[in-house]
Order: sequence, then structure tokens, then C-alpha cells
Amino acid sequence: MLYKRYVDVITLIDKQGRLTPLILRWENGVQYPIDRILEIRKAVSEVGGCGILYRCRIQDQERKLFYEKNRWFIESTKP
Amino acid sequence: MKERVILHCDINHCYAQIEEMMVPELRHVPMAVGGKSEMRHGIILAKNDPAKKYRIQTGESVHEAYQKCQDLVIIPPHYEEYLYYTEKVKDIYREYSEWVESFGLDEAWIDVSDCLSLFGSGLNIARTIQKRVWEEIGLSISVGISFNKIFAKLGSDMIKPMGLVEISRDNFKEKAWQLPVGDLLYVGRATLKKLEIFGIHTIGDLARFDVEILKRHLGKMGEIIYWFANGYDQSEVARIDACQEVKSIGNGITTPKDIKNLRDAQSVFYVLCESVASRAKEKGMAGRCVSIQLRNTDLKSFSRQKTLVRATNLSDELMEIVTELIKNNYDFSIPLRSVSVSLSHLCFESEKVQFSLFEDEMSRQKRYCLEKTIDQIRLRYGFGSVKRCSMLLDEELSDFDPKGSHIIFPVGYF
Repeated sequence: MLYKRYVDVITLIDKQGRLTPLILRWENGVQYPIDRILEIRKAVSEVGGCGILYRCRIQDQERKLFYEKNRWFIESTKP
Repeated sequence: MKERVILHCDINHCYAQIEEMMVPELRHVPMAVGGKSEMRHGIILAKNDPAKKYRIQTGESVHEAYQKCQDLVIIPPHYEEYLYYTEKVKDIYREYSEWVESFGLDEAWIDVSDCLSLFGSGLNIARTIQKRVWEEIGLSISVGISFNKIFAKLGSDMIKPMGLVEISRDNFKEKAWQLPVGDLLYVGRATLKKLEIFGIHTIGDLARFDVEILKRHLGKMGEIIYWFANGYDQSEVARIDACQEVKSIGNGITTPKDIKNLRDAQSVFYVLCESVASRAKEKGMAGRCVSIQLRNTDLKSFSRQKTLVRATNLSDELMEIVTELIKNNYDFSIPLRSVSVSLSHLCFESEKVQFSLFEDEMSRQKRYCLEKTIDQIRLRYGFGSVKRCSMLLDEELSDFDPKGSHIIFPVGYF
């Protein structure tokens, strides 16, 4: 079961206006650097909502991070 | 002339589907999007598939719907979201052609005749668009493909959800002609009744009928629907940057309590007239025809209109005519439930006009400036910042902002 969690993301906006999520900040303050972005495309999320999907690797786990309108959410395994 | 290829895309039960996309749990319960029932605007705007099983219908009251299904989940409409996501869907359409014409929020025609060599056949493009909308935005759409707009729309209505129907010159007699004539655009309830008298039940019946007889009994529209049925519709798909020409400006409301007398009605109409006048002024337009639509508590509705000598966009003048129309046409033996007012036969307010000898032009200009100023105050400080005294008589009836909460509805085909 996956849950929709809006999260703080430290993001790089480059000269062309492209977004690159760098670090994900969980509510307890723990920061998780995004090790690698595997894929970027528009997609719908199975937890609801749609936007630009950044398929990321974080600490050897694959996670789906979505940029929805103007904020980020993650398909989280924890509620 | 080269054969055109036109797609008509329709987002299946749009509002409900967008809600489901945002909150997927709603897919498994009977759900409908509806107005707030305590304010009595409570009608069902859209429903999902589980709700369809309970035979809940679009347009019926929330109260009726609850009687059919007690566990029905009613979601208040989120118009901002619908506008946002339907626009995203249309962005996808616009990647394929610059000829994209919206018909309301959820429908659009796309003319792909010029990009067949880029993207493949009409059917291919339709399939790609359908797949992309599903994967990228999570909405299912039905697509009709044909050589004119009317048959394309018929095609998209045939299979739901995720329909893909091609009506070509070779098969339209089998596919389109067997459909009931009521499916045709612009055949409404009244026309349907007249057509039934002639024994016209299907689109094929209409296409084979004598056009002269239709013309005699149904007027211009008779001829038009005859051409529609035969696939002769030649109207073009508008370009994406084309502005829709405004044909009328109107506002209406279902009031939170019944309107029992003229004074109640005036309270409500004042707000509506101000909104209509202000929107007209914003567009720099004025209208010569004022019409009101009244609906009583028996849900019977009718409309009355008056044409003026000179176009107006002053709320006072509108109100005068509205009051006259109500006085002459309604006695309030049955209370009113919803009312609306609209201004049509529009022209630009800068057009030259013949002044009347018997009208005080100076005071008219003054009133115009006054109303403009009030609009500006409201724009800056909110709708409630300046109000007519008469609106305080019954705040329950007059406390709404039709201009600020105005929503776009599909406009006519012509």
C-alpha cells in the first residue's frame, strides 16, 4: 500500500528553467539526498494526482516523486 | 477538396473523473459531484460508475439522489481543479494540431487533416491522444473520428468510457443513421417532439426526409439538422488562438430560499443586473435585448425578453426593464426558485449612437461613470465593499457574488 505524502524538496532550477530535485526533507527533519534520477516524464500517480514524475533512487530504493502544480509529493510506503 | 479528418474528444463524466484521479479511493464508492444541498443549489453535476448503478442522473437534485443511494458520497465541485486539468488535457490536443476548438470544459474538436503525414491516420492519432491522456493525466476520454464535426461528436458519444469510433463516408449510413435522432447536436426535446409527428425516429429517417417539409415546419433549424444528418456539415474547427465572439452576457442563481414577491425578486435581480452590467462594461460592450428566465418551485421555467431602442450596459436601466418584465408576466402565485438575467444583441459601446431628444444624456453619462467607479472599488476591495441599500433588505437572498463566482458553460455551436 502506498500513501500520498507532500514533502519538502530542495530543488535546483537551472538556467533553462528545468527542475532537478536534490534533497528530500522528511517531516522529522531527516534529509535524504536523491542519488540518481532515473526517468522524467508526465504521469498520473496511483495515489492520486498527476504531474511530472521523477523516478528517483534514494539510498538504493526506487521512489516516485511527483511535481504537482507547484509542490512535490512522494508515493510513500509509510502513511 | 481534400477530405477532412476531425476528432472529437470527450472526457468521460469529467468532474467525477477528475475527483477520482485526485483521490483514487473514490473509484470504489458511489460518488457524485454536486452543489451544496443546504444552499439548495443541490443538483448532481456528475457521477462515477458505481453511482450509475444506482441510476443516479446528472441534473437531478441531491435530495433525490440520496433517496436512491443512502451511501452516496457527494463532493462539492472544485472548479479551479477542473479548469486546470482540462486545460492540461487540451495542451496534449494542441501538440497535434493548431486547430483545436473547445466545446465546454470537457469536449473539444481537433482538425488533424494537415498533420496526417506527421502522425499517421486519424485513428492512429486518436489512439495516441487517448493513451497519452490516460497515462499522463489519468483521465479516460472517448474519441470520435469523422469527416465533419457533427459526426465526430456522434462518434465520441457512442462508446463510454474509452471509446474510439470512426464514422467515415463509407460507413456513416450504417453507424450514424441507426442512432436515435435525439443524439444529433441541436435536436432538443422540443424539436424531437415535432420530428416524432413526422415519424422521424432515427438520424437516418431525418436524412431521408423531405427537406422542404422540414423547413416549413421547423424553420431554418429544420434545414440545418437535415444537412447535419446527411454529413454535409462544413463548419471549421476554430484555431487555438481564436477568441470566441461574445453573443450574450448573463447570470443566474438558485436562491437559498424561495422568492415570494416582487420585492424579493428585485433584491436578487439587482445583484444579477449589476454583475451583468459590470461584465458588459468590462468587455466594452452594450446590449439591446434584455431577457429574464424564471423557474418556479414546480420546476417549470419560462423566459421573457424585451428589445430596446438603444443598447445599454447600465445596471439601473437593466433593472428597470427587468422589473417591468416581471410585473407584466408573473404574479407570484407560485414562488420562484431560480432566476437569471441576460443581455444579448451585443454591440461595442463605442459605436456611434443617436441621442434621444427626450433623454438626459448628461445624467446617463454620470451614471455610467458612477457604475464604473463602483466596479473599480469592488475590484480592489471586494464585492461586498459597496452595496445598494436595497440589498440589506434581505441579505439571505442578495448575499452572493455572481461575477466573482462566474463559471464558463459551453457556448452554442453557431
